[in-house]
Amino acid sequence: MLSRLKYNVGKVVRVTDEAEDIKSFYIKVKMEESYPGQFVMVWLPGFEEIPLSPSLHEQEILRLTVAAVGPTTRKMHELNIGDRVFIRGPYGRGFNINHKGKYLLIAGGYGAAPLIYALRKLREVGKHVAYAIGAKTSSKLLFVNEAKNLGAKVYIATDDGSRGFKGFVTEMVQEIIENYDNILACGPEKMLYRVMEMCLKTNVRCQLSIERYIKCGIGICGSCALDPKGLLVCKDGPVFYAEELVGTDFGKYYTLPSGIKKPI
Amino acid sequence: MSISITIASLRMRSPVILSSGVLGSRYGTINRVIKNTLVGAVVTKTFTKEPREGYLTPIVAYTEAGLVNAVGLANPGIDNLKEILLNIVKEVPVIVSIASSTPREFAEMSIKAEEAGADAVELNLSCPHVKGHGLEVGQDPKYVREVVENVKSVLKIPVFAKLGLNDKVIESAKEAEKAGVDAITAINSVRAMVIDIYAKKPVLSNKYGGLSGPAIHPIAVRVVYDLYKNIEVPIIGVGGITKWEDAVELILAGASAIAVASAIALKGISVINEIVEGIVSYLRSEGYSSLEEIIGLAHKN
Repeated sequence: MLSRLKYNVGKVVRVTDEAEDIKSFYIKVKMEESYPGQFVMVWLPGFEEIPLSPSLHEQEILRLTVAAVGPTTRKMHELNIGDRVFIRGPYGRGFNINHKGKYLLIAGGYGAAPLIYALRKLREVGKHVAYAIGAKTSSKLLFVNEAKNLGAKVYIATDDGSRGFKGFVTEMVQEIIENYDNILACGPEKMLYRVMEMCLKTNVRCQLSIERYIKCGIGICGSCALDPKGLLVCKDGPVFYAEELVGTDFGKYYTLPSGIKKPI
Repeated sequence: MSISITIASLRMRSPVILSSGVLGSRYGTINRVIKNTLVGAVVTKTFTKEPREGYLTPIVAYTEAGLVNAVGLANPGIDNLKEILLNIVKEVPVIVSIASSTPREFAEMSIKAEEAGADAVELNLSCPHVKGHGLEVGQDPKYVREVVENVKSVLKIPVFAKLGLNDKVIESAKEAEKAGVDAITAINSVRAMVIDIYAKKPVLSNKYGGLSGPAIHPIAVRVVYDLYKNIEVPIIGVGGITKWEDAVELILAGASAIAVASAIALKGISVINEIVEGIVSYLRSEGYSSLEEIIGLAHKN
């Protein structure tokens, strides 16, 4: 319904440093609770409204984990306790965590946000979960302790080898993917595409949270659409099963705000 | 039961058209609508000469009266139209919406649209939120006539003019008809604004946007009713259709077909079939055997 477009006024109640240039904002806000992999639209008046997948959402506390990478996210990093944030949503289809079996969560950079939320929900129902996190360097790793504390086996990869496996998270997990029944992944598109390829080859059920230019969030403007199937990332996704993405622009073309396509 | 309709030589399997501005910028979404619904025709998102990124977010704002949007005519530019049209399944007519700020450029762009494979061109003379491409254009009847004349003189395919709510809408439609327009689409969303009382600012980055939804539906009914009294060419009714009853109302007012946008925002593309089926069962229960029998029926008696 369109009433889901209405802004909910939230208040920052806690700010924590998660990693270098990455902070978590705990926001008290009355709204429908999102489930892992869904997203909310976040507006700081005077700045661009952006889609973010919560890293936690329970009992009216929404946690947004944000890297300072653009005008809005840099402004967010200046937020203090008591400041207001305007939030609408939740939107889209998140991760299905009701499948049977063992789960491997593969995170690239700040793509870890929706996965740590999924991890918590999976552990709440006693699922076996492993968490593979990749980042450029050790200071950028996200949620390693939180994942351990929640009882997950943790695999770490850094591009520079400063901690854990030296190389990409996809290289690190390629041998172990087959040991799991379910893969959940979020991160840069090239990484996700590689995860998709590995899962299709090994026949492991795979859900990927992907990114496109989301403007309206409710499936009308079409700016996040994936050709040729016309999948709407904001409504049909942002989480898709690997099979759904086969044969689409995912992993091949990115679309600019004008709709012009560029190879990835 | 016949609910197919021919408008300006375009044969449509149903009178329900996908309105410009909704899901019409990529071939994937357009094909999805064509393949999964009984849509009668599709109108693309408005193309301009150069690519446009559109406005920064927020581009949509909520009110209880409906949705206010200011997408800002985001589009990949007319030169990228051909590649999109080549990938659209040829099952229903594809109407290409274009906007420009000069009659000459309108004509140049419409030639490109025809060459790219458009079945018709819809001149967007009423965008409520882009300066130089919008309402100020459609409310000048002489200018409307000039644009339509320019475009008609260079095209073989039909030309529709999309007019919005303004004091001169009937006069503009009459001038468009004199210039040879093949159909009038009315209305567009209505210029509006939403201010968040806690942000104490307009929500839209563009401040102004176009109001759609139930609030504008009775306005659309009035405009279509007045147009039907004043012009002979077919009318495509648009404005706040959220259910089949709204579509029937516009047809009774004089629309030969209707275009949906709000309904899709509310219920997704499957609503198109609900509206088509609603029209069919209405015709049946009211004792009619074709859609044509009820077009403009509210003017009789």
